[in-house]
Amino acid sequence: MNRSFFYSFTLVTIMLGVMLGFQFRTTSAGNSVAASDRGQELALEKKSLVGDLHEMQMEINDLSTKLDQAGIGQKEAEEALSIELAKIKRFAGLSQVSGPGVEFIVQGQPLQAGAGTEHVLQNITDQHLLKIVNELYCAGSEAAAINGQRITAVSEVRLAGSHINVNGTPIAPPYHIIAIGDASALKGRLELKGGLIDYLNECGISIEAQEKSEVVIPAFTDKLYFEYAKVVQEN
Amino acid sequence: MTVFNKLKIFYWSIALVSIILGIIFSVQYRIARDIQYIDSILRTQELTVQVDQMKKERDVLQAQLTRMRGQFENLSTGPLAPEIKEGIEPAFIFAGVTEVSGSGVEVTLQDSSALHEPAENPNFYIVHDEDILKVVNELKAAGAEAVAVNEQRLTATTGISCSGPAISLNNKALVPPFVITAVGSPEILAGALNMRGGVVEFLQFCGIEVSVKKLEKITIPAYTGSIKSDYISERDNNDIREGLI
Repeated sequence: MNRSFFYSFTLVTIMLGVMLGFQFRTTSAGNSVAASDRGQELALEKKSLVGDLHEMQMEINDLSTKLDQAGIGQKEAEEALSIELAKIKRFAGLSQVSGPGVEFIVQGQPLQAGAGTEHVLQNITDQHLLKIVNELYCAGSEAAAINGQRITAVSEVRLAGSHINVNGTPIAPPYHIIAIGDASALKGRLELKGGLIDYLNECGISIEAQEKSEVVIPAFTDKLYFEYAKVVQEN
Repeated sequence: MTVFNKLKIFYWSIALVSIILGIIFSVQYRIARDIQYIDSILRTQELTVQVDQMKKERDVLQAQLTRMRGQFENLSTGPLAPEIKEGIEPAFIFAGVTEVSGSGVEVTLQDSSALHEPAENPNFYIVHDEDILKVVNELKAAGAEAVAVNEQRLTATTGISCSGPAISLNNKALVPPFVITAVGSPEILAGALNMRGGVVEFLQFCGIEVSVKKLEKITIPAYTGSIKSDYISERDNNDIREGLI
């Protein structure tokens, strides 16, 4: 009795061991592909990549036409180069640009008399403005300015004393933030439920958005001077 | 108990075990097979392959773009009108479309490694887009001339956003540790970050591991993406004077 019981027990244990091993291998094989709930993320990534690739291909075509043109002679080279330079300057914020976009007016909400609550957090800080601008760029804005100060690659939005400085220039409320891009996309991203505007309203800040068919954004006007950064010369 | 009886028990138990094993095996087999053929997994696999391939394609195009922009920059050494010639280098540096080097700082931000209570929100201990934004803003205020995060050059239109545990910037997903590099005066840049009540102190208070290194030479790569101008167009100052707005 005892012996037969042990034999069958051994057999079952061996089988179970084999099965466990098999099972383990199937599950870990399944892990090498992305889990199914990543489908959405992948689809979005693909969409953004498709757009990216298209943009890049267009620019490459454009650049190669210009480079071909530059190869013809000095006059053509100058022409091609000045067009390209103008494009780079627009991108960098070195020239005045216009286009469709949104204007945001950001200011503290007026105190409600007799509401009984003090809006201690009502002050608009540099962080709030910085977040708005960042969010606009995330939504695909191509140029932005706060109170006439163009936001460039090295522009700060920072509290200095009692003012907020942008490009080293003090600005004062109400803050006008202008951005060029797909107006409804820019506005939509900020107005998402639980998004930035919701958050700012919670802080006692009112933000008013207006879609405009044309806004003008000034150029960055300071003189360009690089004390530390040197171009890396390629061999 | 007789020998016969013993044998009988043995056979019965073997039979039972075999039946159970048979059922388990067939179920197991079917599940394993089904997993391979579930639609969503197939689709995900296909998408993964496509996305990977497109990423490779993007890298190729980016390299091409960078090379072509470099060719344009090299044209400036040729015989050209001086106003174009002198305009090129500063504009390219300022726009971020050329690689630069110089003295500067390297700031590393890492999620907190300290163990925290299970009831606490783990979000408090990881690096957010906002934290990077703060550090970058501080560097710019302290006069940084070029800034990059994990080798991605920041341009005028770069937005920093959160996408799950990664941070998205210039359409690239970056993962921790985040290394922010900036060219400028190492003393001023590091000083601005390490200031009392400054951004480093704040981040450390949040449990994020921050290190600031002053470097004699640091290289910041060029922006490799495309320059979009679907919506902006240039406007001359003349238009304003003529009252066209």
